[in-house]
Amino acid sequence: MTTNTVVNVHNLEKTYGKANERQYKALKGLDFTVEAGEFVGIMGASGSGKTTLLNMLSTLDVPTKGDVVVNGHDVTKMRGNQLADFRAQEVGFIFQDFNLLESLTAEENIGLPLALKGTPSRVMDQAIHEVATTLSIADLLQKYPAELSGGQKQRVAAARAIVHHPSILMGDEPTGALDSTSARELLDLLTTINQKQHMSVLLVTHDPFSASFCQRILFIKDGQIGSEIKRGEQDRSAFYQQILNELGTFNE
Amino acid sequence: MLGKLALAGIKNRRRDYLVLLAGLTMSAAIFYMFANLATNRAFLKANAMVNQASIIFGFGAVLLILITIVYIMYANSFLLSMRQHDYGLFMMLGATRKRIGELVFLETLILGAVATAIGIVLGLLISQFLVGLLLDMLGLHLAHLSAFYLPAIITTAVLYVGLFILASLFNMVRLTRTTVLKLLHTDEQANQPKIHPFRQMVAAVLGVAFLGIGYWALAAIKTLQMTAIPVALVTITIGTYLLFRATLLVIIQGLRRTKWAKRHLNGFLLGQLNFRVYNYTRMLTIVSLLFAMALGAITVGSGYHRQLPMMANSIGTYTVAIHNKNAQEQKLIDQLNVEHQATYTQKRQGKVVYYNAAELQQQPFELSKSAQLAKSLKHPKFYTESLAKFKKNGIQDFDFQSLAVRQDMGFYTPKILNAKQFAKQKGTTLTVTTVRVKDLVQDQKVLKQLNHMEVKRFALPEQVTVGNYQSYEMMSGIFGGLEFMGYFLGIAFLAMLASCLMFKILSGAPGDKQRYQMLYKIGVRQNLMRHGIAKEIGILFLIPGIMGVIDVLFGLQMFKPIMSSPMSPYLGIGSIFAIFIGLYAIYYAITLTLYWRIVLPKAPTN
Repeated sequence: MTTNTVVNVHNLEKTYGKANERQYKALKGLDFTVEAGEFVGIMGASGSGKTTLLNMLSTLDVPTKGDVVVNGHDVTKMRGNQLADFRAQEVGFIFQDFNLLESLTAEENIGLPLALKGTPSRVMDQAIHEVATTLSIADLLQKYPAELSGGQKQRVAAARAIVHHPSILMGDEPTGALDSTSARELLDLLTTINQKQHMSVLLVTHDPFSASFCQRILFIKDGQIGSEIKRGEQDRSAFYQQILNELGTFNE
Repeated sequence: MLGKLALAGIKNRRRDYLVLLAGLTMSAAIFYMFANLATNRAFLKANAMVNQASIIFGFGAVLLILITIVYIMYANSFLLSMRQHDYGLFMMLGATRKRIGELVFLETLILGAVATAIGIVLGLLISQFLVGLLLDMLGLHLAHLSAFYLPAIITTAVLYVGLFILASLFNMVRLTRTTVLKLLHTDEQANQPKIHPFRQMVAAVLGVAFLGIGYWALAAIKTLQMTAIPVALVTITIGTYLLFRATLLVIIQGLRRTKWAKRHLNGFLLGQLNFRVYNYTRMLTIVSLLFAMALGAITVGSGYHRQLPMMANSIGTYTVAIHNKNAQEQKLIDQLNVEHQATYTQKRQGKVVYYNAAELQQQPFELSKSAQLAKSLKHPKFYTESLAKFKKNGIQDFDFQSLAVRQDMGFYTPKILNAKQFAKQKGTTLTVTTVRVKDLVQDQKVLKQLNHMEVKRFALPEQVTVGNYQSYEMMSGIFGGLEFMGYFLGIAFLAMLASCLMFKILSGAPGDKQRYQMLYKIGVRQNLMRHGIAKEIGILFLIPGIMGVIDVLFGLQMFKPIMSSPMSPYLGIGSIFAIFIGLYAIYYAITLTLYWRIVLPKAPTN
């Protein structure tokens, strides 16, 4: 483990249900790390534990056993406000259903993480416009989510996720609700963000096309890491084939 | 099967249903109690001596009906908002619209009927115990007030069940006309209201103009008579609505551009208010009116309560006059907090009563400055005159003459003799002791006993009052009904207002739940969310509160004719306002707690 590790998961377990009731083990002892600047994908079929894992990493849920260290913070030891602050400062989130507040304009939505930190409004405006230019949504800032297309919404959500420079960007099926063009645009943007800003990205998906944008992919099956493949020097379409092959054998 | 499913749905939301049922029950109970008072002719006849009183009772009844209608509308929309997702699901599973329609109809009607039935029983019980308690506290006696009055029960039942049938039909039509998808995704698409500067200006001007007309109408009730009230009701409603519509949005959108909006959750708060306030304009208008009526009614009620003794105290120079006091009466007098006391010997012969000049010299009879009565209401100025002057002027003073009342309602003519002549004068000899207490209300109980004994011993004609205490009793009889109704309506309006506001706000909670879930995921601290909600709901409570206070300040003009000088509807309103605002704050706290419980995301546990 180097000092450049952003996420370090050790022996992570999650069991649902009370001790005296019928229990369900969603995660059965996971171990993996994400290095700084890495673009990692997590794949698996429905019910394999992908979302549970992401919830543990983002502190939305509490593990039954094991450690999760994100950017030096032991997530499992945090309580109350610490958890909220951790989510606000260390993690950027993109959800399948956008999670934009429809009562706020795109600009206000993007500015929310900064407002929570108490950033001065001048700095805030600058940061919003910077990120909006990167994601080419500068002309949409005054619109409300209801006035935006799905692709535009997800770009606004992405802007909100990175405006405060979190140590890791997590995506939970971010392309799940998008058409193929928008999905591709978004994935290109995530790649750009990952390369230009050296932001670590963790993408949870079951879509091989989305996954082919990653550098490394972890396959989860029944709550355990089944296998792992790396893109290395291959181009994306070759990697895509490799993923398809892996999925073909993995699910057998 | 579907019926079973519907019941299961209700079971899952027990708490929400309990809130709804409790609110509706209270509303029905209040209505029954008022109907009991307003339709009970015997009671009205016995108590509403003042002409305006019966008018006010009628007016109160109409208001209560209007408000009940609005109330049920809000309660119904709350019910609908709770149920539509379930019904959407049933429809998706293949239930026919007709079947769903029947279910909705039945559910609304059953809920309404249960609420009405419990409400009437509750109303009966409350009438039996609480109304008596309230009357006791106010020291009033209202004749012919019985808890059970069949016409009132029928009125309440017919009105409520009728309204619920309408509400059921409305729900049925509404649900069966909405598409399944819309039912399933009820989280409102926030349509952002836009500002039209010109229209907004016109609305503001019109609003102020309507309010002006309304306030003027209330002040001019003497000239306008009965037309004043409906005119005011309509114009103030329209005026408030237009004013809210014109100004609130502009203020919120103006605030959104400031730096303040970019701190913490302020932007989110303003965004919430921005699309809320527009939807809520009607509700805020009605709540502000309810607030005004509740506060106004309580203010008037308490005005009578506090000012009657004050007014009675200012009428004459003594509280009671006791003739030939016996030991028991002396004991009672000793218990009083006496400010001034004097005893005179009377000799009555024919139509003349004789007094001893020496006694009057020694303890001159007090007179009050009647010209300045109005100004010095709190401390009537008493003064005495030299005996010579008293013989000329003071002797004709009404208070002095009242010390000797003849059975045929006239007074004995007072004459003052010097000690020698007085000693020789024949006639029935009596002593009369005048007592003025510091505080009529404080000594009320003892005074009542004293007065009772005096009246028993010296039967006086009914219409004659001797002393301030008797005047007070008489006035309480006349104005007591008004006082009671003021309190009663005030409490009723307040209860309804609060649940109106509560239902409207709570029916927005499911949508908010998602929003706060999002904020939670982004990493907003629990405390920050709590404060944000407190501010948002606080503002929704504050707006009608402020408008209501303004309405009351103008509206009290209406009572000037029936609270003639030295009473005034504005006297001492500070403390009443404070108490009322305290009650309002309690409702705020309850709503807030409920809201927190529904909306705030729970932290994960193992």
